[in-house]
Amino acid sequence: MTKKNNMKVIPFWGCMMPLKYPQMELAIRKTLPNLGIELVDIEGFTCCPDPIYFKARDKVKWLTIAARNLAVAEEAGHDIITMCSGCISTLKEAQHTLAEDPDLKAEVNRRLKRINKEYRGEVSVKHAVVMIRDDLGLDRVRESIKRPLEGVTVAIHYGCHILKPSQIMHVDDADYPAILDDLVSALGATPLEHHEKLLCCGKGCMDDELPLDMTGAIFESIEKSGADCMGLICPTCFSSFDMGQILLSRKKGKTYNIPVIYIFQLLGLAQGMGPEEVGLHTHRIKADKVLEKIKGSVKVT
Amino acid sequence: MPKDKLTVNFRFRERLNKMPGGKHHNYCYQCSACVAVCPAARFNENFNPRQILLKALLGAEDALIGENSPIWLCTNCYSCYERCPQDVRPIEVIIALKNMAVEKGTAPTNLAKLSENIAETGMSVTFSSAVKRRREELGLPELKPVPLEELQEIIKDDKKE
Repeated sequence: MTKKNNMKVIPFWGCMMPLKYPQMELAIRKTLPNLGIELVDIEGFTCCPDPIYFKARDKVKWLTIAARNLAVAEEAGHDIITMCSGCISTLKEAQHTLAEDPDLKAEVNRRLKRINKEYRGEVSVKHAVVMIRDDLGLDRVRESIKRPLEGVTVAIHYGCHILKPSQIMHVDDADYPAILDDLVSALGATPLEHHEKLLCCGKGCMDDELPLDMTGAIFESIEKSGADCMGLICPTCFSSFDMGQILLSRKKGKTYNIPVIYIFQLLGLAQGMGPEEVGLHTHRIKADKVLEKIKGSVKVT
Repeated sequence: MPKDKLTVNFRFRERLNKMPGGKHHNYCYQCSACVAVCPAARFNENFNPRQILLKALLGAEDALIGENSPIWLCTNCYSCYERCPQDVRPIEVIIALKNMAVEKGTAPTNLAKLSENIAETGMSVTFSSAVKRRREELGLPELKPVPLEELQEIIKDDKKE
């Protein structure tokens, strides 16, 4: 398959990254151009909207707001990439549902007509890691690396929404996903298997106890694996695991101290950026152990 | 009415059928594949997606959308949607039930808090002054304006005649 040389895409930032974890936006803005991806920022987006609470409130309005965002991208004429698992879940599911149910599509367009917009269903929406795998290829990633993450072991956390339901997301096998393992391996790091790799972080549950029990189970499993850090893709999972470790320590008396690193921050480190350049200093759990391991690593050509 | 008599509230099921995603509850044959993969069921014995579907088939309105319904324990992980051999999409049935609970006024009070930001600001997260400073410190560009009026216009309820 011929891979494209340079690509122009519209980033759909959503809310969590720009408004809560801007270090993730920073990592994306710094790393993607090194892969030949040009980000074309456009005006006109709102929250995707979130696939948990707003959808629980009113699914028709949830679909309408999602369709409006898609219509904005259709007008702009480039495909959308998202970097947030919540955004990709909402936008892909909205596309799927509106294609499946013409009555709902008519209702959504009746509402969009109030602002002279129409959802046609013509724009392509992808997660950035899918674009990297399918449109650019992992060789492009390997070529961009200046400091391989040799010796760093990573417990990958896929989270739920980038994978499931696979018949809508079309990202990977939901039971045996490889997309992030392959990406992390391309950076020179070693992904480690562990028992709770695919367990949900629990954030979407409206209960106080249950989410902490779930994140606790995941950390128990990672601790046994001996991984240097957790590598993840979802900003909502990030809050469960970074701030979540502070809560686990406070409420359950269990301290893990496992750094939680967004996949694109790992990419930035491998591309030779310093920890502050990818915003690692903003995390609650410091990544010193990982940084110590890659000190002095250089690419052998 | 004798106690051993099973009653089905078809009126409630008709209402559920009309909600987006609600209709698929009819396909459930109670196999429990959803329970086997459900993390909420694993960590909390009060949550069981098969039982929620059984109650939907019986039309048990109070148990499903009354106060303190177990539907709010769902972690929204989509494992049941992935696994279900009948395309019931249990999570979507649960979301349809949540929408009905909101209409009825029995949803947990924090749901309104967690979702009202979008209708009021167009974004789900409040932009704090601390994050604003952090964006500047990280050298990130200014945020694009959010078209709040357009968003509010499309989610406005139709005027009742």
